[in-house]
Amino acid sequence: MAAAIIEEISEFLQKGRAKNVKKLVEEALAQGIDAQEILNEGLLSGMMIVGGKFKRNEVFVPEVLVAARAMNAGVAILEPHLVAAGNEPMGKAVIGTVKGDLHDIGKNLVAMMMKAAGFEVYDLGVDVEAETFVEKAEEVGADVIGMSALLTTTMPNMQSVIDALNAKGVREKYIVMIGGAPVTESFKEQIGADYYTADATSAAEVAKAAVEAKKA
Amino acid sequence: MNSIERFYATVNREPVDRPAAWLGMPDIHAQPALFAHYGVKDFHELKLAVGDDFYAVEIPYQSPNSSAIYAAFDWYMDGNVDAEERTLTTPGCFAEAEEPEDLEFFEWPDPAKYIDVEECRRRVEMAPKDKVCLGVIWSAHFQDTCASFGMENALMNMIANPEIYEAVDAKIMEFYLKANEIFYEATKGRLNAVLIGNDMGSQRGLILSPDMVRRFIIPGCKKLVEQAHSYGLKVIYHSCGSIADVIPDLIEAGVDIIHPIQALAAGMEPKGLKEKYGDQVSFCGGVDTQDLLVNGSPEDVRLKVRELRSIFPTGLIISPSHEAILPDIPPQNIEALFDEAQKPGKTSLV
Repeated sequence: MAAAIIEEISEFLQKGRAKNVKKLVEEALAQGIDAQEILNEGLLSGMMIVGGKFKRNEVFVPEVLVAARAMNAGVAILEPHLVAAGNEPMGKAVIGTVKGDLHDIGKNLVAMMMKAAGFEVYDLGVDVEAETFVEKAEEVGADVIGMSALLTTTMPNMQSVIDALNAKGVREKYIVMIGGAPVTESFKEQIGADYYTADATSAAEVAKAAVEAKKA
Repeated sequence: MNSIERFYATVNREPVDRPAAWLGMPDIHAQPALFAHYGVKDFHELKLAVGDDFYAVEIPYQSPNSSAIYAAFDWYMDGNVDAEERTLTTPGCFAEAEEPEDLEFFEWPDPAKYIDVEECRRRVEMAPKDKVCLGVIWSAHFQDTCASFGMENALMNMIANPEIYEAVDAKIMEFYLKANEIFYEATKGRLNAVLIGNDMGSQRGLILSPDMVRRFIIPGCKKLVEQAHSYGLKVIYHSCGSIADVIPDLIEAGVDIIHPIQALAAGMEPKGLKEKYGDQVSFCGGVDTQDLLVNGSPEDVRLKVRELRSIFPTGLIISPSHEAILPDIPPQNIEALFDEAQKPGKTSLV
């Protein structure tokens, strides 16, 4: 019975049907199913299925957005139950577009997929100063710092964030990830970041694996 | 051949003495270094100095809120349509709209009030008679519709409430068709081509599915192409990113030239495009602005231009892979692009 309703939640989420997801999450809770199970097996796993299809160009940005909206609708209902149970996120991520860059769609998709992977995401928005990345990461005890840039003229500001981490002597505390249209693996090497990923789903997968490896 | 003959030969994929080349529309912050490099004082002189085959003109548009037609709509209702600090996902005034009556409060601008016919004529008269006069008119109905809701809301509406998306798109199309008609009538006989388009590609694929492109973008594209063709104008259609999956749809819609070949985007390799579509449509672009023009040497740029010339003996306008050249591109690389493109005759890679 539990499996059936959770499967249904996942399926409606994949279709982006927020109202159905909301109703079913409430029903699942009423049936006494553990909130963490509904979250992990229904909502987050459904979102990761959408993410996998996005990575393979089987679905596109609109489908990811409506699925994320449905995920958020379900999570909002679960949140009080999760807080009460003291559930911990799998990691914390601070993300934003770097100084000078206002292109936020890719960054927003990464935030959605990171949430789906179980991260607590602190989205600093766009045009973020290097020091702000560092301060927020230190403040919340982040595991991951994620930076995005669309323009070749703002890519060098990713280096500034790494410089700021080094200047503070905290570079090694963080998994530093970068992405955005002109960003490449060799640019990652050049500036001393830890990971470059080409799409939002891969970013979430890589972040999760890196945090698990670090905590192991 | 002069520039105009070379352009029409390229569009028709007939032999050319050398490829046509277009500078693009350098970002305002990139212009000072280009002016200094070429020893010119303004953009008009720069267009002539680089040896461009094109002379691009924008539709003059002056409303109380905007001095550019691509920013004609006051979606944020704050009179600040040109704001540089706004992101694409910022919710527009239709963010909460669900029914057609939710759109009624908006004051749609009338292009006839804000396009000065004499200024249209003056601008095209600035173009030398032997250069291709290119109207940069964009008519980016998809991007505007996205902005009106906020991009994420708009993309979600395409799935959850397509009727409201289409109602806004229809009003925007009406505006552009009227604006273009004013411009085309005013410049009759002087314009050769127009640049229209919508960004629908990312680095790794389309932003929206090919089916959605066919439903929400191609019909508008067709109307704009038909209108331009009715004035005898060739149509260059722009989209950033990887759009390989909908090139057949753009061809079907009547597009003459696809811009740009964003060289590093997935599926946009010049050789593959030439093989698949080289006998059906022409292209513009190909000289990468994401790495090569920024980080490469003038010799690297020359090598790329030679390679492009060898892949496309005709059917390609050599140009940076993004029209808005940014200030991190050394002017020497732009000079190398034009110099190599302008060498007469066939190109060999050896």
